[in-house]
Amino acid sequence: MAAQSMQENDTEGVPPVISVRNLRMGYGTRVLLDNVSFEVRRGEIMVILGGSGSGKSSLMKTIIGLYTPMAGDILIGGRSIVSARGEERAQLQRQLGVMYQSGALFGSLNVLENVRFPLDQFSDLTLDEKNLAARMLLQQVEMGYAESLMPGELSGGMLKRAGIARAMALGCSILTLDEPSAGLDPITAANLDRTILSLRENLGFTFVVVTHELQSIFAIADRAVMLDPISRSIIAQGNPAHLRDHSDDPRVQQFFNRRPDASR
Amino acid sequence: MTSTDESGADEVASIALRGRITVHTATPIWKSALETLARNPQRRVIVDASALEYIDSVGIALLFDLVRRERPPGAQVEIRDLAPNLAALVRGYDPKDFVQPGARRPHVGLVEQIGRAAASQLAYLQHLGSFLAQCGTGLRRSLFRGGSMRWGEVLEVATEAGANAVPIVLLVGFLMGVIIAFEIGLVAQKFGAVIFVVNGVGVAMLRELGPLMTAIVFAGRTGAAFAAQLGTQKVNEEVNAISTFGLDPIDFLVLPRLAAAMLVVPLLAVLADVVGLFGGALVMLGFGVGFLQFSVQLLSAVTAGDFLLGIVKAAVFGATIAAVGCERGLSTGAGAISVGLSTTSTVVTSIVLIVVIDGIFTVLTS
Repeated sequence: MAAQSMQENDTEGVPPVISVRNLRMGYGTRVLLDNVSFEVRRGEIMVILGGSGSGKSSLMKTIIGLYTPMAGDILIGGRSIVSARGEERAQLQRQLGVMYQSGALFGSLNVLENVRFPLDQFSDLTLDEKNLAARMLLQQVEMGYAESLMPGELSGGMLKRAGIARAMALGCSILTLDEPSAGLDPITAANLDRTILSLRENLGFTFVVVTHELQSIFAIADRAVMLDPISRSIIAQGNPAHLRDHSDDPRVQQFFNRRPDASR
Repeated sequence: MTSTDESGADEVASIALRGRITVHTATPIWKSALETLARNPQRRVIVDASALEYIDSVGIALLFDLVRRERPPGAQVEIRDLAPNLAALVRGYDPKDFVQPGARRPHVGLVEQIGRAAASQLAYLQHLGSFLAQCGTGLRRSLFRGGSMRWGEVLEVATEAGANAVPIVLLVGFLMGVIIAFEIGLVAQKFGAVIFVVNGVGVAMLRELGPLMTAIVFAGRTGAAFAAQLGTQKVNEEVNAISTFGLDPIDFLVLPRLAAAMLVVPLLAVLADVVGLFGGALVMLGFGVGFLQFSVQLLSAVTAGDFLLGIVKAAVFGATIAAVGCERGLSTGAGAISVGLSTTSTVVTSIVLIVVIDGIFTVLTS
């Protein structure tokens, strides 16, 4: 039997689905990140971490093609999203499901219509079929009970879970999540971590997760890249527990051990 | 490639799934699979997934849709050779969770709909009245009882809402004067009463059109902006933050806008009056009435009372627009869509109220 969207958790030797090569990005003439290179392998949960202002969310938005880098390249499935234009770029972007920090649900649509929105735009399935697919996605993120609610009626955790369901709707294999656990209570955050792990397990998604929630990082991440606002680059890369236990870099130790700055 | 087909066996029909089933390829496969089920209502159906290469969430929905259907005993749908994790996923869904509720919204008759709409408008007017009373109390306190009106904010709002609106008010006022003079002039010419067109233009501009057109421009330009500003502040919980500092949002946010509106709408109305009369005078040149004759006739036709009535009306219009805009803004629900609704509602409600108030003024002063 052929591999049917199966996933192995051990991602050693698995080809990369995202390659970031010598990336330099910023705003105007201000360079925010420089010489950033890393790869995300198929089926892996890769966490981008770092303190506030280190450029995590900007890096994610550059990977998904919202920002144009100053230099370097980003390959999605071997094709450059930086040099792609028009329909080719749109096709690459559709391979990436994105959950924004606030959920970014459309305020005029209820939860079910939000999740169904990509199917309405890009498939000619019947309404019943689209509704079934959207409801199953909502069940995957434990939001089946909230399908008729409007985004304004949802809590932070519900917004994020609905945002994940919508991100999955187009059948993309890579999900990028911006701060999924930020501002959530520990139980909701743990439930969200469980949802991420179960989606990887069951549907074989690759995840790029931007976060600085330590518990969440240790719960879900296979590997992590750590950004630093001073050096404006990656200062550590690897399994988070391994980095915590074996890294000699004081900045990494300070982050993982939640130590305040010595000068304050 | 993916296909479905039926075997010729007596007891069993089969559907063979091959290749990739994704959101982009699922439609014909789904349709064909459902047709196979419909053609074989009494036969067992085997879904062979052994040649399936890739399946996304829509494909999973397709498989679940096939197995969840109620069929007679011995005619169930069975999926074979699906990857174990995907098979577990399909089994994990409970068909009962996807039963559509049959209940529909109860029918409401036309009379009941009208009644409900009238009741809701009445409730809104009551709410607006109580809001205006709160504003009145706040205004008295701020101006006369040692309260602190935020005059800096008043000037800022007045600049944006008043000074920046001068060009558009001048344009609209001028065109109104031109149009009125021209329309009345054409009719009056037939009766040899061209000189009385000046009376018409004077009274119409000073008592009605000057304040009315200024108010309509103000409602569209500034009333909507008030609703959007306060609505966004409400959505961002800035209004809550003001309350938790022990400040009254009405004193802090509404009164400066109310005071600025009551200040600038009369001033803008004066500008509209002046350019409207000037526009009328220009048109009257074409009918043989010079500027001097126009001014003499105008002064004999209108009184200071007409001018003052227009100014008082403009102040009332300004207060109404600011109050409606601020009330709608502070009543905004959650989300961007609510801000849009508040803005639209402000413009519509303001214009309706302006016309109603203008009618009341006309009846009371005629």
